[in-house]
Amino acid sequence: MIKMTNLPATSSFMACALTLSLSLPAMAADFRGPVRIVVPFAPGGTSDILARYIAPELSDAIGQPVIVENKAGAGGNIGADFVAKATPNGHTLLLSDLTALLAAPSVLTNISYDIEMDLAPVTMVSYSPYVMGASNAHGFESFDAFIDYSLENPLGISVATSGVGANNHITTARLMQELGVEWNVIAYRGGSDATRAVVSGESDMLLNGTTATLPFALNHQMTPLAVTGEERLTELPDVPTFRELGMPGELDGTYQGILVTAGSPPEIVERLHEELGRIINTEAMTARIAEQGGIARVSGSPEALGEWMSEQKTELAAFISDAGIAQ
Amino acid sequence: MDLLSNLALGIETAFTLENLLYCALGVTIGMFIGVIPGIGHLAAISMLLPLTFYVPATTAIVMLAGIYYGAQYGGSTASILLNLPGTPASAVVCLDGYPMAQQGRAGVALMMTTVASFVGSFITVIVLAAFAPPLASFAVAFNSTDYFSMMLLGLVAAAILVQGSPVKGIAAVLLGLILGLVGTDVSTGIQRYAFGLTFLYDGINIVAIAMGIFGVAEVIANVGKVKGVQSAQKITFRSLIPTRQDVKQSIMPMFRGTGIGTGVGILPGTGTSIASFLAYAVEKRISRHPAKFGKGAIEGITAPESANNAAAQSAFIPTLTLGIPGDAVMALMLGALLIHGITPGPNVISDNPSLFWGLVISFLIGNVLLLILNIPLVGLWVRLLKVPYPLLYPSIVLFIAIGVYSINYSHMDIMLVAVFGVLGCLMLLLGFEPAPLLLGYILGPMIEENFRRALMLNQGDMMVFVERPVSAAFIALSVLLLAWSAYSMVKDRRTARMAAGQ
Repeated sequence: MIKMTNLPATSSFMACALTLSLSLPAMAADFRGPVRIVVPFAPGGTSDILARYIAPELSDAIGQPVIVENKAGAGGNIGADFVAKATPNGHTLLLSDLTALLAAPSVLTNISYDIEMDLAPVTMVSYSPYVMGASNAHGFESFDAFIDYSLENPLGISVATSGVGANNHITTARLMQELGVEWNVIAYRGGSDATRAVVSGESDMLLNGTTATLPFALNHQMTPLAVTGEERLTELPDVPTFRELGMPGELDGTYQGILVTAGSPPEIVERLHEELGRIINTEAMTARIAEQGGIARVSGSPEALGEWMSEQKTELAAFISDAGIAQ
Repeated sequence: MDLLSNLALGIETAFTLENLLYCALGVTIGMFIGVIPGIGHLAAISMLLPLTFYVPATTAIVMLAGIYYGAQYGGSTASILLNLPGTPASAVVCLDGYPMAQQGRAGVALMMTTVASFVGSFITVIVLAAFAPPLASFAVAFNSTDYFSMMLLGLVAAAILVQGSPVKGIAAVLLGLILGLVGTDVSTGIQRYAFGLTFLYDGINIVAIAMGIFGVAEVIANVGKVKGVQSAQKITFRSLIPTRQDVKQSIMPMFRGTGIGTGVGILPGTGTSIASFLAYAVEKRISRHPAKFGKGAIEGITAPESANNAAAQSAFIPTLTLGIPGDAVMALMLGALLIHGITPGPNVISDNPSLFWGLVISFLIGNVLLLILNIPLVGLWVRLLKVPYPLLYPSIVLFIAIGVYSINYSHMDIMLVAVFGVLGCLMLLLGFEPAPLLLGYILGPMIEENFRRALMLNQGDMMVFVERPVSAAFIALSVLLLAWSAYSMVKDRRTARMAAGQ
């Protein structure tokens, strides 16, 4: 109780300290001309929606127009490549699903940029857990029943993914390894096609973001068996997390983050981190991110995101070559 | 009556001043977007998406949807007048629309495609209002096996599209299939024929192919030819009015086209192009005068035009009732809903009845508006033919370039248009037809993907294609169609031989 009452005071004190300590370098970090947020996916997806939420707020904060541009293709790598090769002045940002980009060098050949060398971290934006949804066709009622069936019937369960090398493909492969089961992994053309397949009973299970799966789970067109992340979802209080079921922490869902062209002035990157962090942590923005099935999650510093990214990248590379996902 | 009270709710929603205005704005933009070759509704909708942040969800969707179905109206205008399709879906309208224009019947063709578009859309919207939920469950039940067999039927039907030499026609289809291989293979993730070029990882942009082999090829082919011929045509009011015969010949094709379009549009991932190609193939197959096709048969423009409009409307059925988008445009619509805090899914209609029913009524209003807007414009469009070549054709090339660029903001796509323009010219010179190539390109990847997926899901058992009733029906139809073609070829040859013997 004491902790609770103290919280607002502490945080406002910290905010004061932060503003004080940061007000000096911020003076030098002015933006000249419009800022672009490149979204490497088609309009209407999670990254795009987040970018469009953030753009007007960022524009207010820096006093320059902020434009969202979609450069879709090659699983996000065309847009990322574009930002990697942009003028390094901190005016070209990339808002993307980070796991997809971190896995790309291990999955695709001919990626013409290096995510660690050519792009610089700014901040994480949000994290979205996965829901493991089973088709109603088999009538599985629990995670254990599903796994028991999978163990008894190797390749008897088909799992839909959003595509070869996609996030949920990697997570599916991780689960197979962890559980020692053998599933028939079927690649679809994107997440909604995979969802259609599980709703229709053509495939038996998929792992996908909450926005895509919750409506079907709540409407009993799909059975939710487990969720990723640290906590259960408020919408699905009876569905256990993978951690509760003894699965490893890496089964984590998707992370959206903002990167910038490498070599951009550090004071500009610092200013971006500060402004974006403030924007993302406002109550209104957190609520909007929650509407998209995400949880706002700002990195403590650009360096912290950088460390997280290189850990993830190494880890993904090792896993992908072991699991034989890469071609 | 439940339906009546829902419709009342829809009318109440759609007839607010704001929604009416945005509906009119959307369909007007859509219509012009459709007319201009290369600039597609996808680019227009993604550019206007941010504007809809500041209006309510229903208003936003009313406008964005208006652009989508409005573009289906204008698409055939350039097909008819200039033999270059405004959208890939209206490529098939070139086959008979352009000959009609050359015969001085451009006005009639434009008038009839407008009516056909209206019929296709209007009927489908009524179907949507009455049967959306049951139709959606049908769409979900359609699986990879059924998709494969349906696309196979489409490929067999592609042979019917061929007007000249069958061998060249088949060669064009095969070339289309080969072009469809380029890019990342869905089943394995391997890049095929991408030569390490990232812009080819997602395959060749369909708009680049369509605009290259139809549009640019036509522009080049017309160098020095167009002038004298077309500006000699007098445009009188009479020349715009269809004859009673035209109308009579179009009624059944419009209904059949609507039926085909509705059916195809419901299935996620099929799109309007397949609907219009299939409708054309059906008309040519069942016609008592198949020889007229390709020479200005009115059925050859009205059926596909009704079909692509019907498909554009029925594509909303899986999108709104299930939250499963059929194509990129529908995904964008769902994105717009998400932005407004409405999670797409199976409960969208029950949670937001005013959204769904308001949209349905706005479709009706939008289509009536499009009819009213388009008919007076027919006279204006026909006058485009009077614009001299040195002005008209370079501006078309410019529009194509802008349009293709606006899809992915990729200059490589413009290069691709140029490459396909050269290919299209070569094909024209050698007597190959572009339409079968385009159909091969559209169907090839879907056939392969669904075939392999169906086999993977069934442990390689080929029998699955004849065990499922829907799939078996499509396979049977394909076999029948092939047998019929073979029989009529033999019969034709025999009558030809007998005639020669006499």
